[in-house]
Amino acid sequence: MNNPTLPKIFIFSEKIDSDYLFSLYADDFDYMEEVFAVTLQHFDQDLEAIEMAWASRDIPELKKAVHKIKPAFGFVGLTDVQQSCKEFEDECQQCADAGELKTSYKQIVATLAESKSLLEIEHRRLKEFNATPL
Amino acid sequence: MSLQCIIVEDLQVAADYLGRCCEKSGLASVKAHFTNVPEALEYLDKNAVDLLFLDVEMPGATGFELLDQMAYHPKVILTTSKSEYAYNAFEYNVTDFLKKPFTYQRFLEALHKVGQASEQSLVQNSTDHIFIKSDGKLVRLNNDDILFIESMGDYVKFVTPDKKYITHNTIKNLEEKVNKHFFMKVHRSYIINITKIDDIRENDLFIKGNEIPISKAHKGEILKRLNII
Repeated sequence: MNNPTLPKIFIFSEKIDSDYLFSLYADDFDYMEEVFAVTLQHFDQDLEAIEMAWASRDIPELKKAVHKIKPAFGFVGLTDVQQSCKEFEDECQQCADAGELKTSYKQIVATLAESKSLLEIEHRRLKEFNATPL
Repeated sequence: MSLQCIIVEDLQVAADYLGRCCEKSGLASVKAHFTNVPEALEYLDKNAVDLLFLDVEMPGATGFELLDQMAYHPKVILTTSKSEYAYNAFEYNVTDFLKKPFTYQRFLEALHKVGQASEQSLVQNSTDHIFIKSDGKLVRLNNDDILFIESMGDYVKFVTPDKKYITHNTIKNLEEKVNKHFFMKVHRSYIINITKIDDIRENDLFIKGNEIPISKAHKGEILKRLNII
């Protein structure tokens, strides 16, 4: 007797908003893998832009750099990180001196670094998952 | 028919996603992707597109600055992660505003709005005549009688085979109002009746002996509309 084919299901880390991801890509896990790969591919460059802006205490550039990376987190379901970026962007908008941002900057950079590790793990898992036949 | 579009977006993952949505819909065909405004402008100067997916904040210049510098205005869908730009979007008369990331369903809604806006402008501009105020009266001009319209500062001159009519108006305003099946802007100072072109040489076209300059930005669109065999 043949068993009906069950759809492959991937369980994301609880830090990732999987409902949101499914709303964007349905169950196209191959494409999700690609999205994670592209995001990781550009991550260091985008993070470097943030660090350089901070090093030169250039608040408008810092705001721009964070603004650029922000939606990338939405595309990989890290909606909380996207929100943190937005809040940091708002702080940049309001502050007059880079010194006021020191704590928030440290926090956002730590969040970004943590997100990168998570994305690397999830990307590796997705890759393995997609390589496994039904 | 598929809309010819370009994507101006500096976030690779967003551009890829947008391209994928276009492909999946079968309603839009991506001709090119640019990550900054100057390169997009250079392309748009030489090529006409129906639709522009435009990010706002990009290195060097913003999407709004691109719209300010464009010689013609295709339909525009803004793609940004900042809701605050919605007001500017309204001011620039963009068709829709997609907040990144957006679902495929939301993307489709935006494309349908583009379709509706195009149909609306076709209906608005589909009459065979216009009325202009000239010499204290309203004069009816059939589209087929108008050779071209020339800017004269705050006034424009409608040129027909027999007569010239001067009226208070601007090329920019008329561009939106004339029947696009007949008329197109070829230069910041000229709108021509495309059915009246006698010949084109380099960067000028000729209508009944009148030499009319073609701007670089419009040349691609003119050639696209001509029945070249």
